[in-house]
Amino acid sequence: MDKIIICRCEEVDLEEIEQTVNKYGSSARETKLRTRAGMGYCGGRTCRPMIDTILEQLTGEKPKDKIPLKVQPPVRPVSLARLGDKTHHE
Amino acid sequence: MNNRIVDHPILGKIKERKVISFTFDGKKYTGYEGDTIASALLANGIRKLRVHEESGNPRGIYCNIGHCFECRLTVDQEPGVRACLTQLQENMVIESGKRLPAPLKSEGNRDDLPRNYAEFAKKYEESKEDDPRA
Amino acid sequence: MLDVLIIGAGPAGLSAANACREWDLNVLVIDEFPQPGGRLLGQLHQEPNGKWWNGIEETRMLLEKADALGADIRCGLSAFHIEKASHGFSVYTNQGVFDTANLLIATGAAESPVPIPGWTLPGVMSIGAAQVMTNVHRVRVGNRGIIVGVNVLSAAIARELQLAGVEIHSMALPALNIVNEEHGHPRKVMERLVRMAHLAPSAWIRFGSQFAKIDWMRNLAVKFYPKHGVKMWGLPIHIRKAVTEICGKDQVEAVTICDITAEGERIPGTEQTIEVDFVCIAGGLYPLAELAAVIGCPFQYIEELGGHVPVHNEQMETPLEGLYVAGNITGIESAKVARAQGALAGLSIVKRMCRESEDLKQKIHEAKQNVRTIREQVTIQFHPGIHQGRLKMETVFKEVCDQ
Repeated sequence: MDKIIICRCEEVDLEEIEQTVNKYGSSARETKLRTRAGMGYCGGRTCRPMIDTILEQLTGEKPKDKIPLKVQPPVRPVSLARLGDKTHHE
Repeated sequence: MNNRIVDHPILGKIKERKVISFTFDGKKYTGYEGDTIASALLANGIRKLRVHEESGNPRGIYCNIGHCFECRLTVDQEPGVRACLTQLQENMVIESGKRLPAPLKSEGNRDDLPRNYAEFAKKYEESKEDDPRA
Repeated sequence: MLDVLIIGAGPAGLSAANACREWDLNVLVIDEFPQPGGRLLGQLHQEPNGKWWNGIEETRMLLEKADALGADIRCGLSAFHIEKASHGFSVYTNQGVFDTANLLIATGAAESPVPIPGWTLPGVMSIGAAQVMTNVHRVRVGNRGIIVGVNVLSAAIARELQLAGVEIHSMALPALNIVNEEHGHPRKVMERLVRMAHLAPSAWIRFGSQFAKIDWMRNLAVKFYPKHGVKMWGLPIHIRKAVTEICGKDQVEAVTICDITAEGERIPGTEQTIEVDFVCIAGGLYPLAELAAVIGCPFQYIEELGGHVPVHNEQMETPLEGLYVAGNITGIESAKVARAQGALAGLSIVKRMCRESEDLKQKIHEAKQNVRTIREQVTIQFHPGIHQGRLKMETVFKEVCDQ
C-alpha cells in the first residue's frame, strides 16, 4: 500500500496523474478528463487544491486567476426529480 | 456507549437527551437526539461506513461537514445521504454503501463489449434469455 | 421574493442577517449543516488574556440576536445551483428554488489535504472533522491518534482534542511528496510557525520564543530540532519526523513514522510503527467559492488569501450587481474577521435596498473600520501576508470594474 490516492471518489493516484501530465503535457482540465480525477461524487471539492499543486509543481507555473478546473452546476449531486423541480418559494 | 465526551473542562457536562433507536445494516443501535448519523455511528464504534463502489476499499467519515461525500449511506431507502449532515431520527433504517458491478472498468472483458448497435441488440437479447426476471 | 438570501449560517452569514434585519429587510439564511453556526461552532481556544473563545457561546449570542430581530434561518438546505434572473438571482436548493434581489455567499472554506499512503482508510479524517466531532457532537474520534501536518489550525485543534480527554500521540509532518511540499518540508514549516508565534496564545508564545526570529537561529533550530520533539501542552510536536504510511485493513491500526533531514528527506532505518486508531490530516484551508464560480463572478488567485477568491471590494461587493461575499470565501482568516465582514456586507446590501442616509453612511464607515481593527487584533492568523493579500484584491476589484 504505497499508492498515494489524490482523488478519493474515483481512486486516482499521484503516479497516474504525474504520468498523464508528463506524457501529454496536459492542463488541469485535460488531466481531469484523462484520469477522471475530480470527476467523482464530491465534484472535486477534496482534490481540486491538490491537482492545482501537482500541476504547479510539474509545470512550474503559478495558478492563473481563472479557476483551473471550471465549476459546473449542480455543485452538489442532485436527483433528476429534484433537478426537474422548478417550484419557486413565495 | 462510552465514546461520548460527557464531561468537558470548558464546555461543561453534556446535557441529558432523548435516546433514539436505529438500525445499521440490520443491527440495532441507539444514539441521542441531536446526533447526526455520523456521530451516532462513531459513538457506537463504527468507523467503516461504506466501501468504494468499484474497488471495494473501505471508507468512513472524512470531512464531517458535507464537503467530501465519503460518508454517504442509504437512509430509509434513499441512496447518497451524507451521514455527517443528516440528523438521526427514531427508527431510521441505515445501510452501508456496497460494491457495485462495474462491467466497463473490470479488466479483461473490454473486448467483449458491443461495437455497434447490431452487436448490442444481439447481446441484449441474449442477456434477456439469461435473466430469470425477464 | 426575498430582499436577501444568505448562503451559509456561519459567523459571516449570521451577522449579515442581523445587520439586514436591523434595517427591516426580508432575509433568509440557509445552511446545509443541521444546526446554524458554521465552523464557529467547534472553536475553542484560550486568548492571550486567559479568556476562552468558545464558538458555541459566540454562536448562541448571534442566534439570540437573530431571533430577537426575526431573521429566518433554515438548516438542512443545500444550494446546488444559482442563476442570474431579471429580479436578481434564483437559488436552486434541495428544497425548491428561492428568488432574491440580493445574494450573499458566505460558504466559508474547505480543507486542503496532505495525502499520504493509506489516507482513505476509515479512521483517517480531516482535522476539522475531528474538531466538529469533539466539540459539537461530543463524540471521541478514537482512543489514541496522531496529527499529520503542523500548522496554526492543527495545533489549535490538537489542544481541543486534548482538552476533551482524547489522547494524541504526537503531531508530525506528512511524508514529502510533490503535493505536500509546503507541509512536509521542515524548514518551510518552521518558517511559518515562527512568523505566527507572536500572535498566538500563551503556549505558542513559549513555542516560538524557543527559536529566536533570526535566520541562522531558525536554521539551527531546524537542524538541531530535539529528537523527542518540542512539547506544547505536553504534546510532542515533531518537525523532523514524518508519517510515511497509514496502515490497517478495514480501519486505521497504525502509522509508520520516520526521521527526516532538515530538507524533508527520509532517513533510512529510522522507521517506527505507532499504534493508533485515528489520524487527522491537516493541510490548511482554501476558500470554498464554487457557487460564486457558477454564476460567473470573476476570480483572482491570491496566495495570501488562500487561493482562488471571488473578486470583491472592501465593502464586500462583487462586480456582479446584487452579489456579495463575506467570511472565509474572501480569504482565510479568523471567525472574528468573518463576523465583522458579515456585518459590513449586510450594511452594503441595505445601502443598495434603502435610500442612503447619513446614518447608514456612518454605520458602513464604522463597520469597515471594525473589520480592519479586528484583523489587527486577532490571535489566530492563517497567513502572515494577509494585509498584502487584501490590498491586492482592492486593486484587482478596481481593475475589473474599470474594464
